[in-house]
Amino acid sequence: MWYSTNLAPRAQIGYSTGTYMVIVGHCHTMPMEIEMTLNGTERTFEAERSDSLLDVLRRNGYTGAKRGCDTGICGFCTVTVDGEPERSCIKPVATIDGTAVETIEGIGTQDDLHPIQAAFVDNAALQCGFCIPGMIMQSRSLLANNPDPTEAEIREGLAGNLCRCTGYEKIIDAVQDAAERMSGEQTVVTDGGDLTHETAGCSSQDWSRGECDE
Amino acid sequence: MSKPNGPQDDDSHQRLSSSAEAEHPLEWDESPNNRKSKSERQAISRREEKTDARKIVTGESKYTADYALHFPDLAEASILRSDIAHGYVTEIDTSDADAMDGVYAVITPDSDEVPDAMYTSAGQSYPEPSPWDLNVLRRKVRYVGDPIAAVAATDTQTANKALRAIDVTYEELDAVLDPEEAMEPDAPQIHDPDQVENIQPGADYERNIEAHTEGEIGDVDTAFEEAATRDDWFVTETEWKTPYQSHCVPEPHTTIAHRDEDNRFHLITSTQVPYHTRRQLAHLFDVPIRDIRVTKPRIGAGFGAKQSMLIEPITVALMLAADRPVKLETTRREQFYAMRFRRSARVQMRSVVTQDGAIKAFDMSAVTNAGAYGPHGLTVTSSIATKPLPLYTHTPNIRFEMKAVHTNLPIGGAIRGYGAPQGHFALEGHMDEVANKLGLDPIVLRSRNLIGNGDLDTASGVTTDGEHVRRIRSCGINDCIERGKAAIGWEDVKQPEEDHLHRACGVALTAQKSGVAGDELGAAHIRMNEDGSFILQTGAVDIGPGADTAMAQIAAEVLGVPPEDVLVQASDTDISPFDYGAYASSTTYVTGSAVKKAAEDARAQLLEFASQMLDEPVENLQARDGAVRSTQTGDSVTIEDIGYESIYGDNVRAQVMGQASHCTDESPPPFGAQFADVTVNEHTGEFEIHQLVFAVDCGVAINPDLVEGQVEGAMHMSYEFAVSAGLSFENDGTPETLGFRDYGMPTTADQPPLESILVETHEPTGPFGAKSVAEIPVNGVPPALSNAIHSAVGVRITDLPITAEKIRAKLDTD
Ligand code: FES
Ligand code: FES
Repeated sequence: MWYSTNLAPRAQIGYSTGTYMVIVGHCHTMPMEIEMTLNGTERTFEAERSDSLLDVLRRNGYTGAKRGCDTGICGFCTVTVDGEPERSCIKPVATIDGTAVETIEGIGTQDDLHPIQAAFVDNAALQCGFCIPGMIMQSRSLLANNPDPTEAEIREGLAGNLCRCTGYEKIIDAVQDAAERMSGEQTVVTDGGDLTHETAGCSSQDWSRGECDE
Repeated sequence: MSKPNGPQDDDSHQRLSSSAEAEHPLEWDESPNNRKSKSERQAISRREEKTDARKIVTGESKYTADYALHFPDLAEASILRSDIAHGYVTEIDTSDADAMDGVYAVITPDSDEVPDAMYTSAGQSYPEPSPWDLNVLRRKVRYVGDPIAAVAATDTQTANKALRAIDVTYEELDAVLDPEEAMEPDAPQIHDPDQVENIQPGADYERNIEAHTEGEIGDVDTAFEEAATRDDWFVTETEWKTPYQSHCVPEPHTTIAHRDEDNRFHLITSTQVPYHTRRQLAHLFDVPIRDIRVTKPRIGAGFGAKQSMLIEPITVALMLAADRPVKLETTRREQFYAMRFRRSARVQMRSVVTQDGAIKAFDMSAVTNAGAYGPHGLTVTSSIATKPLPLYTHTPNIRFEMKAVHTNLPIGGAIRGYGAPQGHFALEGHMDEVANKLGLDPIVLRSRNLIGNGDLDTASGVTTDGEHVRRIRSCGINDCIERGKAAIGWEDVKQPEEDHLHRACGVALTAQKSGVAGDELGAAHIRMNEDGSFILQTGAVDIGPGADTAMAQIAAEVLGVPPEDVLVQASDTDISPFDYGAYASSTTYVTGSAVKKAAEDARAQLLEFASQMLDEPVENLQARDGAVRSTQTGDSVTIEDIGYESIYGDNVRAQVMGQASHCTDESPPPFGAQFADVTVNEHTGEFEIHQLVFAVDCGVAINPDLVEGQVEGAMHMSYEFAVSAGLSFENDGTPETLGFRDYGMPTTADQPPLESILVETHEPTGPFGAKSVAEIPVNGVPPALSNAIHSAVGVRITDLPITAEKIRAKLDTD
């Protein structure tokens, strides 16, 4: 066979049609309530036991996180849970109860971008944008843990976030640029200057889309 | 006129050229403002921020699935797909699914809402060259993935549960998975010609051939006969194989269908071809075109995946059956077996080349695996020759034969490059083999035969026996080679200290087109608000690369305003002017020309107003920096003043509105040179790519950031095609590659650094000198890498993907 169809013996695990989702105890009549601190605000959401965090976020208007695979591989749905980056599509929502969740909607606004967002814009590090919310959330965690990463560390840190459009070059540039911008800002804060987004919280006028006023 | 050392053309070639000379003059009647020096440019050639950048980084950019919240009674849907590769569905029992709580509709081929009409999924102009061989839901199934039934329910989980409750009985037929076997007389026949409408040449469904054609320029057989008698002419034969490639489109195909307040069908859908989709849906559902509206929101990229109408018909049928809005969002798993792919191919090359490197003849043939259905079969397979061969268009004798063959495997479709990657792998690998045989430097051999500015290109018309000819009016390929060589370090490759490691660079030249010559239409409409801003409507379908931004820059350059003062509206068939869609590298070249003309129309009106306001003749006026200024008096009025005057003024009131259409028989090729720098371990076959460089001549870059983005993104896909593409199947056609990880899409950690170099030329037929760039960089990495590896360790990999195992196996046998 010359078409690289790589014939192999039939796998043990049966192949089934339809989608990939494994449904465990799904039941319409028993919704549960999930409490979380979402982008700094206490929220309570109704959910099915089988829902992922991504399902609940998107159903409630937080559509910045994207569904690219639903299996934890593409990274388009990345949010942070208690400060750690998580693939929200494989995070059962039941495990979220009582945690603090941050999504792309809580990071900055179009008029006042977070330095990472500004670096992505200024470096033209985006095309279709489907991967970008997840990429920015992952980059934010990366820079929180390692404020001055090497290129190799950036490549390692973003390896779980796919992008089909950019070839990654400009994204890596953007994260390096963001690191520089943020190290500059930290100096300002230490000097008693302006607060960054990270510390400004809900007092900032930027929170114009209702995440903070509930 | 560009090849001082070029070979003499044969007489036959000369005759053809002279008859075509007059029809395709070098001179082009270019409007005076089309050619601007770098210092004159205001809005173009600038790294303008992408219009949607800020909403993308804040997560506010809305893609199809994000519109779900607009429809409170929205049903969610799933598709039941065949799990056998070939056979008949003899029975579908949906009673359990129908009875399930939360299920609104279950549709099968027998449902009233499901059309019986045949169609093609190819999003092409009318009449589509692709065969009408598809039903919306299928009683005969031809691959694992054919849709059989679909469910709309309260949510996806319920829909999936209902799917599992559907009982399907099959009568199984023998399947054939290999195109060569499929052409054997005793192979299972996949299509019944009586059921298919196929206008492609050479279809022979008894042998599973959907298209078969051949074209010739000059006399190839005679060249080979002569070569047999001479010892200074050399014959080289090679064969190349390429696998399936997935678009890995980030946003899975998604459609929302509902009825608007006038009871028309309204679709919000992830498409590259809103207008073709509207027409094809009208045909299928037998409703007037005017009763369908297709809205394109932001698109999570296309790469050709969405130049197809794949799930829209099922969504509409479910919407009718459920009598409520329906959202159908495909899964990643479906993306990897049930959508469309780059078709696998086998390409054979034979050539006659003289001792000193003049190409006398190319004989090329390609067989592609169309998979179960025929969209884009003829056009993609023909492109295997017609896109790369113009590089060496002076070759006096060229023949190309192509066959597109059905198998019971996933369906080939349109994908970035559109046949050109398969063709370039063969042609540019072959050129290196010829250079090796003749002992010539690979770049010297290419340069001896290379196309140049002012040339008449006949090779792109090989499938028309050379009847289709085009004039090359811009060509920067030599600069691409020089700058690429410098960037990769061609002249100075340092060998590693370890004896078993060998480092080398490889090169491949590339070409593409800019739109489908004679088969495109772009249209644009631009109007001025009273504050001096503009609303630009085009059918240009921005699927991510930034077409909207480029269009705003073109309009702004004409109008003398900042690009941010031109607001671009996304394509919507109720609102936008017509457009063929985002494919064939046509948007900047074709729709961009329409935008430029529409803006010129608006500017003429602007200047009329300014002329009255300044009491100066129009000839003295110049629109620049947001104002119109008299070059004589220096007096000026701002664009905003003109806006208020045009709408609220005391004299003539008329809104400034420009419009234009653009179609053209021209399709100038962009050119590029791909370089790869690699070190190979001669013990293990493992290789490390240090860098990939692509230098491109795309005319004038309207927005260098966006152009670099195209180059880097396409090089990433080309790299994947070189080292990790391919789908695997079980013996019965069951797919095994069902996710990103199985498939091996490159990540930040495993992709080598990419460098893009923009070589500016001026294409007089393009808007402000622009040609296309979206596809050309996807062509070069496989041959450049194969050539580099050959140069490093002397083994030739002719089948993709290139792996350490293959290199090692060759090292062991050689
Ligand atoms: S959608 Fe969650 S990782 Fe892909
Ligand atoms: S920008 Fe399209 S996937 Fe990253």
